[in-house]
Amino acid sequence: MNIPLNIDILQILLHMLNFVILAGGLTFLLYKPVVNFMEKRRQQFADEEAANKAKAEENVRLQEEYEKKIRIADAEISERKKLLEKEYAEISAEYIKDAKEKAATIITAAELEAEDRKEHILESVQTEIGELVVSATQKLLSDTVTPQRNSALYDEFIRLAENTVNEERAKNDKK
Amino acid sequence: MKTRLTKKKAIFLAVWLLVIALILAGIIVLWPPAAKHESIQQAMQDSVLHETNKVEFFSLVVNPAVVSAYIVTAVLLLAAALIRIFAIPKFKTVPGKFQCAIETIVGLFSGMAGKNSPHKPKFIGAYIFSAGVYIFVSTLFELFGVQWINTHGAALSLPAPISDINAAIALGVMSYGIILGGGIRFRGVKGGLSVLKDFSLPISMSFRLFGALLSGLLVTELVYYYVSLSFVLPVIVGVLFTLLHAIIQTYVLATLVSVFYGEAIEPKPKKIKNKKKKVN
Repeated sequence: MNIPLNIDILQILLHMLNFVILAGGLTFLLYKPVVNFMEKRRQQFADEEAANKAKAEENVRLQEEYEKKIRIADAEISERKKLLEKEYAEISAEYIKDAKEKAATIITAAELEAEDRKEHILESVQTEIGELVVSATQKLLSDTVTPQRNSALYDEFIRLAENTVNEERAKNDKK
Repeated sequence: MKTRLTKKKAIFLAVWLLVIALILAGIIVLWPPAAKHESIQQAMQDSVLHETNKVEFFSLVVNPAVVSAYIVTAVLLLAAALIRIFAIPKFKTVPGKFQCAIETIVGLFSGMAGKNSPHKPKFIGAYIFSAGVYIFVSTLFELFGVQWINTHGAALSLPAPISDINAAIALGVMSYGIILGGGIRFRGVKGGLSVLKDFSLPISMSFRLFGALLSGLLVTELVYYYVSLSFVLPVIVGVLFTLLHAIIQTYVLATLVSVFYGEAIEPKPKKIKNKKKKVN
């Protein structure tokens, strides 16, 4: 068959055979393995992205849950605090009341004791004054009586009386 | 002192090179034309029709492009096997330079198939990858100037396989066959008939490929024929008419085949018939 342009069916078939061999070889040796590798990697990235997205969503959920718990805990703490403050105020008031009552009792007891002591001191001072007067009279009577002597005796009596009173007072103050 | 010496050396070198270039130019211009066994007309006609220079291929007398095609296939399959055995098992999630290059080439064709034929991209992706790699490498093949002996015992430089019209027809017819087969397989007889409407497709694909490759080949043939044009110029011509053609033709054929295939297998939306209700 004489086809123009040197077209030859046999050579076309030879070229076809060549290309079919090449296409098959390249597909199985190069194209498919590389495409499979790329697809596998793309899938891996997609999976990782999905996992990361799920993790991020889980994190958001956990954070919301945590914030909710924190809010509840804060409210509980605030309520508890108020309750405790109230209890504390009540206890404090009770303590203060008790203390005031005890203080009042102690003051009353102290006043009574002080009154007793005062009376006791006055009694003892009166006895001593009496004794001093007696002893001074006795002394006066036994000695010669002169105006200077009398004056000195009176002075001596007053000084002794003052000293005695002062000593008693000091003793009372110490107690 | 040192700078002056260097400057002197540079001037000497420039003058020396200029003198050599001038003498060479004179020799080239005055070189007597070599006794060529064929004229430029014959050489160009043979480039187009491959009627004179024939080679033997398993006792068959064929165009040199057949041998070129099988050599290209052997080289490509060897390279693919080496990559499959030594490189692909070492592929990493974060690719290196070589892996990146391989993935870019494969990704380009699989992406093109996915974009133009989204329903069934796997098969057509593999096909356009093979066709693309074949066209690109076989176009660049002529730059290597692999020598072969023709039936007359003279040496010839093997051409690009696609520069032979038989190779271009083979590729065009096969591409059409793939499109037709896809149409019949996925859309039945209707799909096949719709593809058959484009009966000019194999002719246009074959001759586009052949014409594009041939135009580059004729220019390079013209340049290589004359010794005076064989300095520096072949590099520019080779890059312009071979490398660019290789890239453009690869892209054009891959795009056309994937687009037509996608169109052929695309399921047509069912027409909803509005039945008019009869009013009694």
